[in-house]
Amino acid sequence: MEILVLVKPVPESESRLRPSPDGRQLDTEGVKFVLAGYDESAVEQALLLKESVPGSKVRAVALGPAARAEEVLRATLALGCDAATLLEAPPGRELDGAETARALALAAAKGPADLILLGKQSGDQETGILPTALAARIGRPGFSNVLDLRWDPGSNRFRFARATEAGEERWEVPAPLVVGLQQAWNDPRTAKLQNILRSRKLPIDRIPAAEVAAALGPAPRESATKFLLPPPRTGAKMIEYGRPEEAAEQLVRILRDTARVLP
Amino acid sequence: MSRGVLAVAESVDGHLAASGREAAAAARSLSEGGTVTGLVLGTALAGPAGELSRAGVDRVLTMEAPALEGRRALPWAAGIAAAAAATSASVVVLPGTAFGRELAGAVGSLWDAPATAGVTEIVGSDAEGIEVARPAFGGRATQRLKLTGPRIVLALRANSVPPAPPAAVPAPIEPIPAPELAAGILAGEPVGFAAAASTGGPELTQAAIVVSGGRGLKAPENFALLEELARSLGAAVGASRAVTDAGWKPSSYQVGQTGKSVAPQLYVAVGISGAIQHLVGMMSSRVIVAINSDPNAPIFRVADFGIVGDLFQIVPALTAEIRRVRGLAEPGRSPGA
Ligand SMILES: Cc1cc2nc3c(=O)[nH]c(=O)nc-3n(C[C@H](O)[C@H](O)[C@H](O)COP(=O)(O)OP(=O)(O)OC[C@H]3O[C@@H](n4cnc5c(N)ncnc54)[C@H](O)[C@@H]3O)c2cc1C
Ligand SMILES: Nc1ncnc2c1ncn2[C@@H]1O[C@H](COP(=O)(O)O)[C@@H](O)[C@H]1O
Repeated sequence: MEILVLVKPVPESESRLRPSPDGRQLDTEGVKFVLAGYDESAVEQALLLKESVPGSKVRAVALGPAARAEEVLRATLALGCDAATLLEAPPGRELDGAETARALALAAAKGPADLILLGKQSGDQETGILPTALAARIGRPGFSNVLDLRWDPGSNRFRFARATEAGEERWEVPAPLVVGLQQAWNDPRTAKLQNILRSRKLPIDRIPAAEVAAALGPAPRESATKFLLPPPRTGAKMIEYGRPEEAAEQLVRILRDTARVLP
Repeated sequence: MSRGVLAVAESVDGHLAASGREAAAAARSLSEGGTVTGLVLGTALAGPAGELSRAGVDRVLTMEAPALEGRRALPWAAGIAAAAAATSASVVVLPGTAFGRELAGAVGSLWDAPATAGVTEIVGSDAEGIEVARPAFGGRATQRLKLTGPRIVLALRANSVPPAPPAAVPAPIEPIPAPELAAGILAGEPVGFAAAASTGGPELTQAAIVVSGGRGLKAPENFALLEELARSLGAAVGASRAVTDAGWKPSSYQVGQTGKSVAPQLYVAVGISGAIQHLVGMMSSRVIVAINSDPNAPIFRVADFGIVGDLFQIVPALTAEIRRVRGLAEPGRSPGA
């Protein structure tokens, strides 16, 4: 089975968030970009499938500024991905979701894949639209919010569950398929030191910025206008009380009369 | 500048989902005098179409086709793009559900439009485009974006836009044919469904109040205390991952990085320490209350109001007090006891 797994370089979760000097977006000065969140689980899922289906290959794909994307792709190679494709983001060009899908489709067009795996949402913007945007772009069935993804060699089908507000649907869909993975408790493996060292020397295929730019529309259609941090929560107002009933009375009074959140 | 807007609604058990009313209200605010069209897709649409016709739209389109029966993003998106073209809409508004996000991506690609999802606020709108706000980084920041061009796709976040009051006169309802769908995108089929374990109240991500419990509850049967509190508030019940990992509650209850993101008006965290992976799932809540026996629990750093104490004493007292002020009966207890 040929698997593509798409990973977005995102700020490390511990990084401090602050607006850029122009106030429009996250200040990335000094921020480390990593493989994280659902994408990390998607890589784990890709490797699990590879291990269960002999002869499988996993290729990781990242679109971004070259240095960041390379860092993340090396991490996927250290974890056990077989190959990597780096899509160089055209510098300074803001991309909307449909354009990102066009760019990612360039990597998908390089070779046939039975499964294209994405995170259900990226670890930074959390928009959650790319799995189906890419599926629609390349004309393959696409599902997001997917759990419990398995390959059934007997029927040549993927079996999986899909989470909705009402519950879990079960689906059976033949390859090729695009999946946004919601599985996030598959305990992603960590890379061994010798694999990390080895991955530094492995080749990475590159699609240059000019080729990516040629796949986009003529002008940007989405631009960040403001990056806002919530007013710092200064810590809870603690309720002083003697008996539990007094605590309850005070809290209910505050919620009803001051915060006005009681029905 | 007036514009045509198409609002897409889902239905649940033969009824219009609340998220569809929110989409209709947002569409109205974006239309600036232009026509607002509501669209329902699938089969057996009479019920939801009738309800949508009173949700503040100018007309309702029903697109009925067996291929649209399951919630599959690509066939729906093809139908939505066709309806947008037929009504000359320049904006499509999608519901604040998990499927709404899937639709946003697929419609964005098929209709070749910038799309975003999880929109909590429409900041502004002019001839160039629409500026929206959406939470990012697990609610630790808000990103404002401007989408421009002749076509724009937005999916809302649940509970962000108040639905319009029901209209006295229903809007007209007309059928619209589904476009021809490529067989490739229809491959595969649904083979089963397991309804989410009911929390007995509203759905977690759509609820205005959420009461969540953690390991501090000590045993699964003690969740009954929280469920009573939730009932007194008309709230949904959530849980920390410690609880779902231990099997006290199914994973559909889990709030956090690897569970559901919620942003209710009121979030009550009971016996939850406040690990960062939990916080990112609930930090966008408007008011946060924490009840914990440990005064140094990190949850108190993000809470607005805190009670340090034994939840086994505080929670029953709180339930009783809420029932008292709301005038609800206290089952099995004599007044004043
Ligand atoms: C990759 C990853 C993803 C994760 N994703 C999630 C996620 O999505 N959601 C999530 O919740 N967690 C998640 N976690 C787990 C998270 O790190 C914490 O372990 C978890 O949230 C702890 O749950 P808890 O607060 O219920 O338990 P604990 O941390 O054990 O806290 C229990 C609290 O109860 C209090 N308590 C005890 N007795 C009483 C009493 N009688 N009265 C009042 N208070 C009492 C204690 O003081 C304590 O603060 C994730 C972890 C990892 C590594
Ligand atoms: N720049 C990118 N490079 C590679 N994959 C991406 C990129 N952006 C988004 N993705 C994939 O699409 C998923 C959903 O992203 P989003 O729609 O932005 O929330 C992510 O989890 C990734 O798998």
